Amino acid sequence: MDTLAILRSMLLIRAFEDALIKRPDHGFQLLSSGQEAVAVGVCAALHDGDQLLSSGRSIGPALARGLDPGIVMAELLGKAAGPCGGKAGRGHLAQPSAGFFGAHAVVAGNLTIAAGVALAMQLQGPSHIVACLFGDGACGAGALHETLNIAALWKLPLLLVCDNNQYSVSTRRSEALAPARLSDLAMPFGIPSATVDGMDVTAVYDAALAFAQRARSGEGPAFLECVSYRFASHSTATRETRSAAELKAARELCPIRRFAAQLEEQGGLTAGIRETLERDVDGQITEAMRFADSAAYPLASEALVDGV
Amino acid sequence: MASEMASATVKLFYREAIARAVREEMMRDPRVILIGQDVAAMGGSYKEFVGLFEQFGASRVRNTPVAEASMIGLGVGAAAAGMRPLVSITYMDFLMLGLDPLVNYGAKLRYKSGGQLSAPVVVKTTAGAKGQGVAHSQCIESWLMNVPGLKIVAPATPADAYGLLKSALREDGPVLYVDHKRLFPGAGEVPCVEDLIPIGKSILRRHGRDITIVAHSYMVRVAEAAADRLAAEGISCEIIDLRSLAPLDLAAICESVARTSALLTLEEGQIPCGVGGEIAFRVQEELGPVRVARVGALPVPVSSNPVLEAACIPDAERVCQAVRQILSASRNPVRNVSQ
Repeated sequence: MDTLAILRSMLLIRAFEDALIKRPDHGFQLLSSGQEAVAVGVCAALHDGDQLLSSGRSIGPALARGLDPGIVMAELLGKAAGPCGGKAGRGHLAQPSAGFFGAHAVVAGNLTIAAGVALAMQLQGPSHIVACLFGDGACGAGALHETLNIAALWKLPLLLVCDNNQYSVSTRRSEALAPARLSDLAMPFGIPSATVDGMDVTAVYDAALAFAQRARSGEGPAFLECVSYRFASHSTATRETRSAAELKAARELCPIRRFAAQLEEQGGLTAGIRETLERDVDGQITEAMRFADSAAYPLASEALVDGV
Repeated sequence: MASEMASATVKLFYREAIARAVREEMMRDPRVILIGQDVAAMGGSYKEFVGLFEQFGASRVRNTPVAEASMIGLGVGAAAAGMRPLVSITYMDFLMLGLDPLVNYGAKLRYKSGGQLSAPVVVKTTAGAKGQGVAHSQCIESWLMNVPGLKIVAPATPADAYGLLKSALREDGPVLYVDHKRLFPGAGEVPCVEDLIPIGKSILRRHGRDITIVAHSYMVRVAEAAADRLAAEGISCEIIDLRSLAPLDLAAICESVARTSALLTLEEGQIPCGVGGEIAFRVQEELGPVRVARVGALPVPVSSNPVLEAACIPDAERVCQAVRQILSASRNPVRNVSQ
């Protein structure tokens, strides 16, 4: 595990979203701040040639997978220079050539698709796997049951990662989902599963790596629940329903602060290194904004391109 | 000699035409796989996949659990990742369980990814009433005609079943392929040599003078039976078999209606927002007012009771009545009727 690369990736997601949200034209976004450790920990366990699918909360996963922040920003702002020509936005952001098969903004809608991508990989040759990120909201949907069943039967190279931020918009996970742990959902299918602290990037990475290696060697799917917390409201258009006290307590669990403290304690991170990383990330964000700002919107005639 | 070869045909049952199409495409393209309930050793609910499991094996012919959402999701996802799956959904009614991956993902994929991805999947299903009741009889193809990015074909003959399925498996986007239960017992001539029926092209089944009847799938047979009866009364019907519902072959329909100046649309599904309503409007956008009638199912579910089923879905007699009514409505030539 390249610890500084992991820290840098989490810093990049946070800085990217902070910069995005300051813009008056940020549009409708679902932010990943607070949940950086899940996307970054999982992506650190993936190889080139693997594919990642995410929910509509895609900014963290896309940046963690290594997409260029400039083209991601362009896509989010509707610019033609985005990988999807500005047609997808964050809800459907995709760059399969970079290993990000894409976001899909229907809750639980990406599960069966991910199983299909995994089936294609299994048929096309060994060693590549699919990771699919979804929220706790998807665990109430029948698609998860169908996907677990077929993935177990067919030993699909599929890593299912539930980024359990503990809320479906305003509905608490405890009100919506009966299982004690969401990873219990995989047990009847004989799928190995684990629940880890999603605010601890090391825990996420260690679990994801073990499951990814298992899937890569042909032993089939796994289910990883990462208990996380989102710092912003569900979306930029959704009013906050959680108490100020709850939010304040959650911010104390910040995965970036926590990982940085661990590294400092171990002697792998000094104030100087941290400053260099942050300056480097700031420069990358400035460049991303410059790129996105200078990019053009699609022509209206683009509405009719790629429709069929 | 060559032309004799090209025109030679062989008589095949409808199910045999399907099996031949899938077999040829699986031999031609290793990316083609078959996913569905009872498609492997059983050979499909209608025996339309007999022999494929034995020939291509368990990795390319895959039985699934009874789980339409994941069946279609698997097909769409595998298609997006480079395969060309054929997903078999036994009854069209059950397509509803898998519309999310088909409509929200597959049909939009090329557009939403800016052309980076597409989903060349064929979802094959079987529509129509044949004694199986309210949730095993429906024809819901018109629901899907307003999904951008989705093509829909509905053959009426073994030759078209063969040629359209082969074309569908070579399309670069999702295709819904609709069979009909009442077509399976039938047989027909199919070209001996490989043949592809283009998607988006109708076929003129019968030349006529007085009225154009447009139909698809099993209703083409009903139209032909009605046209036989009406011929005895001196009424000459032209019959267009749509073959493709999306895209519609509007040019051919308009060319016919411009000659006959009367249009009857016939479908087994519901009339409101149906295939016929769309065709009738678009023909009149092109040609101006013409005499139009729509014939479809009664606005009730289709019962398994044989008396009630027959009462619900169109038959030759209802088509004849509608044709007589429309052709006799000379005082108000554009007063359109539905029945």
